Amino acid sequence: MSTRVLPDFEILVPQSKEEALKLLSQYQGDAAILAGGTDLLVQMKGQLKCNCKGENAFGYLLSLAEVPGLDYVEYDETEGLRIGAMATLSQVAAHPVVKENYPGLLESVGVCGTKQTRNMGTVVGNLLNASPCADCGCAILAWGGTLTLEGTAGRREVDVDDFYLGYRLTARKTDELAVELKLPPKSDGTVSAHHKMTRVEHDLSKITVSVRLEMSGTTCKSARIAMASVAPTIVRLKETEKLLAGVEITDQILESVAKSASSEVTPIDDVRSTAEYRRDVAGVMVKRIIQKVCKS
Amino acid sequence: MKTRDITLHINEEKYNLTVDANQTLLQVLRSIGSTGTKYGCGTGECGACTVLVNGKTSILACLTLAALADGMHITTIMGLEKDGELHPVQQAFIDRHAIQCGFCTPGMVMKTISILEENPNPTEDQIRHELEGNMCRCTGYEKIVDAVQHARDMMKGETR
Ligand code: FES
Ligand code: FES
Repeated sequence: MSTRVLPDFEILVPQSKEEALKLLSQYQGDAAILAGGTDLLVQMKGQLKCNCKGENAFGYLLSLAEVPGLDYVEYDETEGLRIGAMATLSQVAAHPVVKENYPGLLESVGVCGTKQTRNMGTVVGNLLNASPCADCGCAILAWGGTLTLEGTAGRREVDVDDFYLGYRLTARKTDELAVELKLPPKSDGTVSAHHKMTRVEHDLSKITVSVRLEMSGTTCKSARIAMASVAPTIVRLKETEKLLAGVEITDQILESVAKSASSEVTPIDDVRSTAEYRRDVAGVMVKRIIQKVCKS
Repeated sequence: MKTRDITLHINEEKYNLTVDANQTLLQVLRSIGSTGTKYGCGTGECGACTVLVNGKTSILACLTLAALADGMHITTIMGLEKDGELHPVQQAFIDRHAIQCGFCTPGMVMKTISILEENPNPTEDQIRHELEGNMCRCTGYEKIVDAVQHARDMMKGETR
């Protein structure tokens, strides 16, 4: 393996979305879609990325760099936040509404990679890369939202809850392009936060948690909890969420929430942590992040 | 396509090039003699290949495809000196002895310029956080952080 030289491929540089979709339907799984490149090119250099035939190569890279109109971050009160496929992490982090209303997302963007990779990589790409340790993906799953997928046959919206089908497997079909991520607006009592645990600051996560709670005073009306690096995909802890629905948050509740979180995750041993550690710490992290958002 | 004709503006000089689809910007820079920009890891971890787009945004040349850099204005370490005068950030690195073997320095300097472009008055904490993504194997981080603070003060017109 060489990190100096990329394997051979042809590059496709469509000048419009229509052209991109046409090329995609023509090449399907033999074309990898290139947005920021900070994951894809690394995987290709390491020959870790497989095409539709399971070969460690792609014949074609389809770049979105010159497709106009995909690099937006927009907000309105009914639709919420709309993030285009080419909007970089830095762009999202700089948006005033993200700073104001989406603290969990903001935190996740801030710890995703380094300044340089945030200037290059995209939020939608982080979701599409489908890594079980995805930073923004975890915050997005905790917040809830929809992804717009477009193909030559038309467009459809997929709930982020239904997007991950298995390890590195998503609901996107090979002829579809993820064009936009939509995150609904917050309501009055919404609080959110994200916490990533790493060995050193810009490392990949050992374990990550994101929460979004709908609070009314000290009572939690409903909760969404997502975790990364604890299962083959980023996951929601739906059983644990139920314990929080409609209850006043007390120390006692948090103890049972912690216990439930630890039993709901299915981590493995790998280079960054052991399963046992992750299981133990999952509960503690969920408890602490809820304490934190309730205080703020 | 297997190759693409592109125009690159490197340190304000225009280059018309034919590049391979799978060539990185780093490979192209180095092949035309712009060897100030270093190859460290090739995988986006060390920051040795950091260059600036439009004079301010830091990117990694090792993860940028040259074919997609058509029309870009790139600043590298080799474009900083003007009429024999070093850029204040370069001077600050020398003044504060923030260079040991020097391999990380081009990336560190370019990154520092982008940090100060975005926030001319960063605190030490902010500097440490922002420098994440640039590694120094000689581990002279103390001096590097010191140099960035010195550059910040010089560029504001005050020296400590
Ligand atoms: S060589 Fe580009 S980040 Fe290390
Ligand atoms: S001075 Fe040697 S790597 Fe930084």
